[in-house]
Order: sequence, then structure tokens, then C-alpha cells
Amino acid sequence: MKSKIVTMIMAMGLTFTAGSVSAAGELHIYNWGNYTNPEMIEKFEKMHGVKVTIDGYDSNETMLAKVEQGGSGYDIVVPGDYMIAIMLKKDLLERVEPNKMSNFKNVDKKWVDVYWDEGRNYSIPYQWGTTNFTVDSTVYKGDVNTLALLFDPPDELKGRINMLKDMNDVINAGLRYLNYPRCNANKAQLKELNAMLIKAKANWRTMDYSVIEKLTSKDVDLSQSWNGAAKRARKDRPELVYSYPKEGFTGWMDNVAVLKGAPNLENAKLFMNFMMTPEAAALTSNFANYANGIVGSEPMMNADLTSAPEIVMPASAPAPEFVPPCSQEVTDLYAKIWTNLNK
Amino acid sequence: MANPAATTTRKPGKSIDLKYQPGFSQIAWFCIVVLYAPIAVLVIFSFNENRSVTVWTQFSLDWYIKAWNNEGIQHAALVSLEVALVAMILSTIMATMAALVTTRTDSYRGLNSAIAVINQPLMVPEIVTAVATLIFFAIIKQLTGVSGIGYLIAAHTAFCIPFAYMPIRARLEDMNLSLEQAAADLYAPPFKVFRRVTLPLMMPGIAAGAMLAFIVSLDDVIITLFVAGPGETTLPLYILGQIRRGVTPEINAVSTVFVGISVILVTLIFLFGKDRKK
Repeated sequence: MKSKIVTMIMAMGLTFTAGSVSAAGELHIYNWGNYTNPEMIEKFEKMHGVKVTIDGYDSNETMLAKVEQGGSGYDIVVPGDYMIAIMLKKDLLERVEPNKMSNFKNVDKKWVDVYWDEGRNYSIPYQWGTTNFTVDSTVYKGDVNTLALLFDPPDELKGRINMLKDMNDVINAGLRYLNYPRCNANKAQLKELNAMLIKAKANWRTMDYSVIEKLTSKDVDLSQSWNGAAKRARKDRPELVYSYPKEGFTGWMDNVAVLKGAPNLENAKLFMNFMMTPEAAALTSNFANYANGIVGSEPMMNADLTSAPEIVMPASAPAPEFVPPCSQEVTDLYAKIWTNLNK
Repeated sequence: MANPAATTTRKPGKSIDLKYQPGFSQIAWFCIVVLYAPIAVLVIFSFNENRSVTVWTQFSLDWYIKAWNNEGIQHAALVSLEVALVAMILSTIMATMAALVTTRTDSYRGLNSAIAVINQPLMVPEIVTAVATLIFFAIIKQLTGVSGIGYLIAAHTAFCIPFAYMPIRARLEDMNLSLEQAAADLYAPPFKVFRRVTLPLMMPGIAAGAMLAFIVSLDDVIITLFVAGPGETTLPLYILGQIRRGVTPEINAVSTVFVGISVILVTLIFLFGKDRKK
């Protein structure tokens, strides 16, 4: 009886505070934290008279967990390449056909037929980058464009290396070094990979995400790194050089997509079209510090971006490889190698 | 701590004084350093002039000014305060009522399970509550079409109740019934007894409980992460969202202010608790 009163009061509290109903002229964006340029949003708000809210997440998986149940209230999400593939499989994205929108002509042709959204029926490019490594050129003076520096380092780099604490980034780099295919379930090849990684680990100092801190505090002289982090680290340590290994490397792309059941579907489409204008793309790049995949945005981008070797790939570098999510069998095998490596 | 009278009860002689074992103070200092050194570093680098959180260059308040002018942080701070204030008020009212009915009563079958139900958010792992709440609210939202910050406040209220409940109940259990009985003897009707005797006596407990609830709500990450809807990013969520893209001293500055608020409130709780011992 008494606990009934408590539940009643709680129910009352719920109804009393849950009064607000979504009005017309709103747009709810769920993007990575610190990744949306407020200036760009302001421009969009003025242009269409739409009130925008922005919330941030820290990983693709957090975002997925939250929107998977439906009713999250968000219209726009910005998943990474493989996450678009997963969300399409789970039927979470609305087919808004950006490829028929007026500004689609601005999208760089090489970002149209991508594995995660063939022909771009669901998503458009937001920002893209590469995962490589960056090395102090005063410590190591030789050619930096080889994965040998990670897995068979010269003496001056031994014990001075930080690797990302990321299973896919480490294993894919290892597979490229051994010249074996990605999403690999070949047990003999994986055994070789495992032995190679264990041997290489003896020369690694740490496995950690905090790349910028590790490099600028001179804790290490080489670190596996996303290109944006490498660029920021170079600001404090100008000797750093970003490598584009000849064996190949991983690319990633975050994409603007619309959630199924978005409460403000029309505004979401307007936003998507707006994000394909060179102005909006340049504003985003200037804020987030990555390349954007929209043709014509470069003249409006900050000079320190367009001149950064981390952001603008040299013509001699191989094309970045976008690795699709692997099968469960492969993931399990990788997890075993990864656990073993982290012992 | 600052009261020297507390140590005068030491008995001289054979019995070993547990407070003065060899090595205790070293272990205590070690624990204090491990617990507080990282926070000290965080606070120091919030005053760093460059954008690194590990390399010191020069003292500056730039990051505080930047954080103060950052719209995202402003909005998140307001959401945090709004949720924490409403959740504090609601949960303290409920906890006070719950404390009254679980102490001012004869023991009955099920009293202990009633207390266990009230304290349930302390026992269940937070991530379980978070996922359960997420799914539950998603169903309600889809059925009713109602959205808004009410869901977040309801979730916060629910997990704040046990934190508010414990100090209030402790206070009530300490209070002798004789004053209330004397008031009743003098023909005070029950409500007047409550209004004039019980409530003023339990006020320190209520104040401590309310502040504890406020802090717990302000600090919460996991449940908030799952329940918060569009435009409902709280300060801890905002900080969490920054981490993957690299931490700047701006976050140190916000965190320092955050730590400051927590310290002030905890000190107040401590002072309230101390007062009534006299």
C-alpha cells in the first residue's frame, strides 16, 4: 500500500515534467562530441528557420545502443563507414536518396560507390581520414613509408613506440605487413601474424589511445595515429612526420545519415543537402580538422589544413583501404590474438 | 578530524591501540596520493597556457574564459543543474516520506523487503538499470509519442532516492520518540507534532540527503548516457563526448569547476552531520 503511493507519485512526476511536444521547425543532431561547427549550424538555422539541437557521443557503439530501440528523438546521426553497414543491416536508416538531391553533384566521385552505401542512397560524406603512424624525423632519419618501423623497428626506435589500443588497427597493419588479406580466417596465416605481433611487442613501449599526449610529452618517438591527431601533435613537436606506408593503410569515413522514424524528416533532408555545399563542408573541416569529400570546399578551408601532409595525401601514397566489418568467425579469431597480445 | 577532544578517550596500558599500527600512516599517505594526485594534475593543467594537457608552459586563465563562452558547455551546465535540482527536490520528498514510514512504525513482516526495494538502485549494477530504463522509456515514447526532459528527470529521481533516504533514515533512527510522545501528550494533533517537532528535528538529515542526491544526479554518467534525449546533454556527457577527439585544457577547466562544486557540497553535508552530534 505504502509503496503504491511512491509509485503513484513517481508516475505523477513523470507526466508533470514530460509535457513538451516536438514543434515544427526543429532538427535533432546526434554527432561525435566536439565534431560539429557551431558556425555551420547557425548558418543552417538562419537559412531555413530551423532550431537545431546537437548532442555528442564518444563511440559508434554508444550511438548504436541508444538509437537501436527507436524513439530516441534524433533525426541525424554521423556513423563511421562500418557502422553505416551495420545500421543498414538492422534497418535503422531512412532511405532519403541524397543522390537525387540538388547538391549531390558536389560529392567527390570517388566517395559515391563505397562498400557501406553503394551509390549513396542513405548517406553522404562528412569527414574522412586515415590511420597510420607518425614518427620523429630527428630520431629516425630513414624512409618512414613502411610498416617495418612498427613491426621490425631499427634500434633507435626500439622501446619508443606507441600502438593504438585498437584491435582492428593493429591487426590490419600486421596483415598488410605480412601481405595477407584482411578479414582473414586462414589459421596458418593468423598463427604467423600472432608470432610476428608478439615479437614486435617487445619493442613497443605502450598501447594507448592518448596519442597526442604520448608524443608531445616525448614519452615515445613513434605512434600509430589518426591523421588529425598526428597533425595536432606536430604543432607541438614539429619534427614529426606522418607516414603513408607502401604496404597500404586504413581509411575511415564518417557519414551523415537520417534515422528511420526521424521526427523531423523534411528538415533532416534539408540538412543533408546543405551539408553537401562546399561552404558547409569547409566550415566542418575547419572545425574538425579532417578532409570532407566535397569538391570545391578547399579554397574556403584554412591554409594550415590544405597544406598539412596529414590531411592532403601525397600523390605517391597508395589509396586508403576501407575495411568492411568481418564475419563473426574472423572477429573471434582476432579477439583471441588480441587478448593474447595484451597479456 | 579537527576535534582534539575525540582522541582523549585513548586507554593507556596493555591493549594495543589500533589507530597507531606501524606503517598505517605510510599506507594512508600512499592512498591519498593515488586518489588525489591525478585530480591535482588535472587542476594544475587547467591553468596551462597552451593546448596540451601534459606539457606545462605558462599560467593563464584562457581556458576558463573559453569554457565560460562555449555555448555547448553553457547549455550542458544548465541541463545538469535543471535535472539535478528537480531530481533533488522530488527524490528528497519521496525519501523523507519513505524514511518516515519505515522508522515511525512497529516492525511488520515485509518491512525489510520494503527497505530493500527503496535501496534497490544501490544494489543493481548501474549499467543494468541504464539499459532497462532505455528500453522501458523507448517503449513508452513509442506508445505515447511524448518526449522531453521528464524521462531524464524521472530516471535521476529514481536512483537519487536511496542516497537521500539513508541520511534521513539514520537521523530518524537516532531521534528519541519521547519528544514526539510528549507533544502528543500535550494534545498536539499528529500533523502539528510532525510540523513542529519531527520535521525540525530531522531537518539536518533532510539537508544532507538532499545535497547527496544533488551530487549523485550531477555526477551521473551511465544512466544519463542512455536516457538523455535530444538537447539533453549534461556536463558529464559533454566531457565524455570530447574524449575520443582529444582532451584540451578547456575540459580540465570545466572539470575543475565541477570538482569545486562537489567539494563544497560534500563539505556542507559533513558540517550538517557534525552539528547534530553536539
